Amino acid sequence: MDIIFYEELFFTLGFIAYTLSAIGFFIYVALKKDSVGKAAVLLATLGFAIHTLAIVLRVIESGRLPFSNQFEFATSFTWGIVMCYLVLHYAYKFTAVGAFVMPIAFLVMGYASMLPKNIKPLMPALQSGWLPLHVGTAVISYGAFAVAAGLSTMYLLNLRKGAGSSGKGSLPDAEVCDYLSYRVIAFGFLMLTLVIITGAIWAKAAWSRYWGWDPKETWSLITWLIYSVYLHLRFNRGWKGKPAALFSIIGFICVIFTFIGVNTFLPGIHSYR
Amino acid sequence: MTIKKFIRYLTSLGLAIALFILIAAYSIIGTVLPQGLQREFYIESYNSFGNIILAMQFDRVYSSWIFRVLLGVFIVNLVGCTIKILPSQLARLKEEYFPQPKADGDSYSLEQGEDEALKDQLKKQRYRITETDTGYRASKRRIGSIGSSVTHLGIIIIVLGSFLGNMFAEEGFFNLVPGDIKPFPEYGFSLRLDDFYLGFRENNTVEQYYSEVSVLSPEGGELKEKLWVNKPLKVQSLNFYQTSYGWASRLYIKDSTGEVLESRLLRSGESHFYQPSHITIYLYGYYPDFNITSQGEPLTMSEKENNPHYAVVLYQFNNHIGSYILEPGQTIDMDGYSISFNDSVLYTGLTYRKDFGYFFVLAGSLAMLLGLILSFYLYPRFILVENGRVSPITRQNSWGFSYQVRRMLKQITGREVS
Repeated sequence: MDIIFYEELFFTLGFIAYTLSAIGFFIYVALKKDSVGKAAVLLATLGFAIHTLAIVLRVIESGRLPFSNQFEFATSFTWGIVMCYLVLHYAYKFTAVGAFVMPIAFLVMGYASMLPKNIKPLMPALQSGWLPLHVGTAVISYGAFAVAAGLSTMYLLNLRKGAGSSGKGSLPDAEVCDYLSYRVIAFGFLMLTLVIITGAIWAKAAWSRYWGWDPKETWSLITWLIYSVYLHLRFNRGWKGKPAALFSIIGFICVIFTFIGVNTFLPGIHSYR
Repeated sequence: MTIKKFIRYLTSLGLAIALFILIAAYSIIGTVLPQGLQREFYIESYNSFGNIILAMQFDRVYSSWIFRVLLGVFIVNLVGCTIKILPSQLARLKEEYFPQPKADGDSYSLEQGEDEALKDQLKKQRYRITETDTGYRASKRRIGSIGSSVTHLGIIIIVLGSFLGNMFAEEGFFNLVPGDIKPFPEYGFSLRLDDFYLGFRENNTVEQYYSEVSVLSPEGGELKEKLWVNKPLKVQSLNFYQTSYGWASRLYIKDSTGEVLESRLLRSGESHFYQPSHITIYLYGYYPDFNITSQGEPLTMSEKENNPHYAVVLYQFNNHIGSYILEPGQTIDMDGYSISFNDSVLYTGLTYRKDFGYFFVLAGSLAMLLGLILSFYLYPRFILVENGRVSPITRQNSWGFSYQVRRMLKQITGREVS
């Protein structure tokens, strides 16, 4: 048995754990049973550990970080989403967020599972020290935006249900979602800014221009602009809440389009397959 | 609308949001429609919409006047917004400034003596403490107040710097075969290609493209340099980039005695017209590792010269004479002449560019990052302790800051505060 066999095995096991975790979170939200929520978090954590192992094996086999084709982006992206969720969960014990984040992880991992997984050597344009920084920050940034989109969805649902108490010291869930999604987006936005800056520096070295209006570049700028709208709405007290949450979700749709749509529909110099 | 109202609108957040959305939406057009093609393409492909596309300059979105106007208004708005908020942000840096807690803001009650313990803890965490009649005020990281202005300044530097840089940028592309010299008279140097070669992996795929060049100065100085993809070469203010490559093959036209009548390098897709017999020799392609597809098309399996072949088409007086697959040196005999190809060499394609805008982009990016970090993480924190009540106050992250203060109070008092 070679390393690739185990990599694929762990990838599949991680995928199964994420799937079960997503289902678990749905049951938790529907039945409000704490034990189910705990099990779902445990499954997500377990899946994350197994998934990390799969990625480590791939790194050993290929001798580089898994950042060079669409499968590797997708598996790393899922890893980033689950990592951001788990960090948030263990910092704030916010179990229900999983119901809105793990399905996204499940979908992106599912997308990854349908892509060709073979390890190809790096093409000349990708042989640069900027690759891990550029794609690494993208993975973290996309992960943060996924979690924020989950929080914003939860916020909007909470608003509809009118849930939460407004007692001092224990803020209603909706308000906490609003605050947390803002903090997570602020972090994702900082990372996205780094993605664009490292990309510009790298493009200058590889293609002579720091900005060339390639579809991927343009869509990352569009995403950045949408989240700028979010941040400004969020700062302006009168507009926070619902409009901001909507922009958080639109922003994440842009992220997904920048990640998958651009490669599928708008090929350019960024379309690494 | 009065001038005052107009200026207020021009520097408003509402306009800023509208511009974000407009710029984003307009950019999308440029990613969906093919950019920079001939006018005819748009008329033929999009029928009646073609004229609209051309009138609105959707065929070159990012250099269109609409886009420039949007960016121009954006910069005016950004400068205006920043000038508007900067004085109050600077005022918040001063020690005298201390915000009032919001009526519905969080506050926690302390028991006797606990406020002093809290003060010690705050001092440890580098809060500045100012005593008041009824308690004390603690504050830190006031510098974070100017975060958004620093971010805005960074964006202004990037947009204006790249605009100016693009106005004065110089860019070009050239091909060289080994031995060729490309002069840059206005810079006082020339570039000679000494060698160009491909690095291969074990499976014959290309690992890297290398150009070895000499920078020649008029005084006779020679500086040997090597560049490859991701490793540009800087000579004075010009940067050279490994951009493309290809094969150039030598065409020989000889007479019946074997004397060379004509010899020149042709790239794939180029042709040569031989006047004496009115022949056009078209080099369809050079295939270093020749094979034929199932459709009968020639192709190369790799860039290694394992099985070199040339695909050649001949025309005479505009009539197709014949298509040939030739080995190196193999001749086509015609009208007493022999035509052959041999001695293929790789040529390099180099881009050069000079653009001082990049330095503005770098400086602006650094300012932007610093501004974001100030805004999101080094935001100002204020704590008002008055009449036995603790009120955490911050604009940026009130929930998170209250959470931190609650945790700190729990550590000090050993109970959940409310």
